[in-house]
Amino acid sequence: MSTSSVSDWITAQREQRTLQDWIQDLGPFVMLFGLMVIFTLTTERFFTQGNLLDNVAKNAVTLLLVALAGTFPILQQSIDLSVESVVLLTGVVTVVLIAEFGLGLLAIPIAIGVGMLAGLFNGLVFTKLKVPSFLVTLGTLSVMAGVGKIITGGSTITFRNDSIRSIATGTVFGIPNLVLWGLLIYVGTIVLAFRTKFGRYCFALGENERVVELAGAKVDRYKIYPFMLSGLLCGVAGVLLTLRISSASPNIGSGLMLPSIAAIVMGGTALTGGVGGPHRTILGVLVIAVLNNGMNLLAIDSFVQEIVLGLVVVAAVALSIDRDKIDVVK
Amino acid sequence: MSSETYTDTADPTADATAGDVSSFRVEGISKSFRHVQALDGVSLEANRGEVIGLVGENGAGKSTLLNILTGVLQADGGQLYVDGEPVTFTNPREAANYGVSLVHQEQDVITTLRGYENLYLGREKERLGVLEKETMRKEAQAFVDDLGINIDVNDHVRDYTFNERQMLEIAKAFHVSQKSDNPVILLDEPTAGLEESGRELLFDLVNDLRDRATFVFVSHELDEVLEISDRIYVLKDGEQVGMTNVEDATTDSLQQAMVGRETADEYYRVPDQRRAGQLGEVAMAVDNVAHEDAVGPVSFSLREGEIFGIVGVEGSGKQRFGRLLAGDLEMTQGSISVMGTELNNPSVSDMVDAGVGYIPKDRKSEGLLLYQSVLVNTSLAMIRDMNGRMPALDLDAEQEATMNAIDELSIKTPGPNALVHGLSGGNQQKVVIARWLAQDTPILVMDNVTRGIDVGAKEEVYRLCRELTDQGVSIVFIGDELPEVIGMSNRIGVMANGQFVAEPFEASPGNKPTEEDLIQEMI
Repeated sequence: MSTSSVSDWITAQREQRTLQDWIQDLGPFVMLFGLMVIFTLTTERFFTQGNLLDNVAKNAVTLLLVALAGTFPILQQSIDLSVESVVLLTGVVTVVLIAEFGLGLLAIPIAIGVGMLAGLFNGLVFTKLKVPSFLVTLGTLSVMAGVGKIITGGSTITFRNDSIRSIATGTVFGIPNLVLWGLLIYVGTIVLAFRTKFGRYCFALGENERVVELAGAKVDRYKIYPFMLSGLLCGVAGVLLTLRISSASPNIGSGLMLPSIAAIVMGGTALTGGVGGPHRTILGVLVIAVLNNGMNLLAIDSFVQEIVLGLVVVAAVALSIDRDKIDVVK
Repeated sequence: MSSETYTDTADPTADATAGDVSSFRVEGISKSFRHVQALDGVSLEANRGEVIGLVGENGAGKSTLLNILTGVLQADGGQLYVDGEPVTFTNPREAANYGVSLVHQEQDVITTLRGYENLYLGREKERLGVLEKETMRKEAQAFVDDLGINIDVNDHVRDYTFNERQMLEIAKAFHVSQKSDNPVILLDEPTAGLEESGRELLFDLVNDLRDRATFVFVSHELDEVLEISDRIYVLKDGEQVGMTNVEDATTDSLQQAMVGRETADEYYRVPDQRRAGQLGEVAMAVDNVAHEDAVGPVSFSLREGEIFGIVGVEGSGKQRFGRLLAGDLEMTQGSISVMGTELNNPSVSDMVDAGVGYIPKDRKSEGLLLYQSVLVNTSLAMIRDMNGRMPALDLDAEQEATMNAIDELSIKTPGPNALVHGLSGGNQQKVVIARWLAQDTPILVMDNVTRGIDVGAKEEVYRLCRELTDQGVSIVFIGDELPEVIGMSNRIGVMANGQFVAEPFEASPGNKPTEEDLIQEMI
């Protein structure tokens, strides 16, 4: 036995996959599959192409974009609570620019730009004024919702422009554009997370900022980028959501924040940062989307739905969390 | 070295309270983790009033043994006796009831609480659910005073010095075992974070308390073990391979027993040291740099292939000076020139750009992403400039750099994707070094680079430093271990109050200063 065989053994254990690892990895898959089986057996409509594509997938896209947005700040051990307000603000801006300013397609990049600026603001206050991201974004959650609501004047605003609408409502080979946009961005975020410096620093900052700083990285900058990306993706979500329904009400986007965080954590991205990634966030999103859809098909009381959703989220997180890496839970 | 000092206490029967009953005894303790035999029939015994040294390389089984003694782990075989009574501990609380407690290597105090609150943590006195703070505070103060520990238990632990925190931990060990009249205090690497003065305080305390407890002292620093212990047990590969009275032991004999082979006379590879004539151009020129009033002004220059040692007592500013060189501490005065480029108040990022890599003292909190792979840790600095300013990573280049590092530094890892957390201390430290080698960093600032790693790994680090300097790399070698700094360096600056006290000592082969030379300047 060599002198370092104990540490070799420990390393080997980490390499060697245990049953618990499999449960952690497969938990959300099993849960998703289980839910789909249950709803297929209990409802006639669930497992039809119409329902899966038009209801489950299309409804899941907004949540997916918002959850992907939130994944990056959480990976670096911050959090962006303002996501749903950015969706509201950018959605309202889109409609106003098209309907009142007649900007047409140009409205889309401007609205997304507004989202990025919102993220930049969050990031700057967080890094330069050293206000914890939880508090900054809790504040901007409220501020941006207020701004968006003032712009709407308190009622639903609409636009008519079918060619622009078709960006969200059209189909390619029978697959809704909305779903394709969602998948495209999903793949894009995976590339960002695993093939770029930005992604690498996100994980590294989430684990230990000092180490990254001493390795010579410009830490502040890389702490701001995830918030800008979050704002950008929420902007995309706001644009697609309003194009789809060609209107923006004062409460679009509301109620997205909590399920998006639930989806992120269910996917295996720990709130303590450094582990997980956007590739798995989609699992959490699908669990929530399927659950919502199935319960609607079963005509379950909406208050009961809230209870079930909450319980499923906690159960999924308990299954997927990597306890080896967590010493203390707060 | 101090063999004659303790000859009177080395004979346990001389102690009146000892009798024939040993304080504790382990017989044939074995423990395996699946296929790995961590301990194999280890026996040792300590008598009351003794200080027992326990040494061995990383992985020799020291931690496993301590964990079994305190009930954290359960032995597969063998028997543990405390005060002559056979016992089985299933958790640390049971061990504490028999008087056995462990002072951890990593400090285990809660800094936001006061001293007495830490002392009573988990065993608070309360009446009707209300804490009896005043009673606890008074009793705690009396308790530490009685032990001869000079701390104010009403202060917050965050205001304690590193030393005082450790004193508090030792007080806590006595406190949890106060029900027993036979306290056994296990000290796991207690000097790891301490500098010279702190070590003396600790040793004075242990010496003062040796008639009130039995100590087990675990350390990598063999001279310390020789200084404090009465008898020394050596573990190697999970077996007890030797027990010697301190007067029969030397660092060489212990090292030989631990490693199982002859250690080189020239541990620090002094013959390989670059001679003055072999040094290159000036790699780094430090001109009157200072950080407010705390560090500096300091001036010195470092030549290509040179190792410049820096020593000083705790609080001398040598560690902060290292941070200043790394760009981690604001340079409020002076300038620094690296490879001919002048820098004013550089950031860490600027210094890395200029070619300076910093290896911090505490690799776990500042050196490594423990739950990331060897690859991610190795490439963490090189990815900055990868593909120019393009955001994409070059995964092939990262892989290649990591494989090279594993090969050149002989890092023992199952592969580039294994988590750093699972590696031994020595291999972890090699990964920190590899990060700078992966991008050919010409100047390294090392703060206690061999801290807490075993003898074999230390030797490899020394060899590596020699190879690097042969290639023209320059090293600022900050250290608490004087023999190491003396052995490794070409010149040595002695720091006090943030400044060099005199011209740096020449330390060319055959012309090295002694420890006493340096200590005289340090204090």
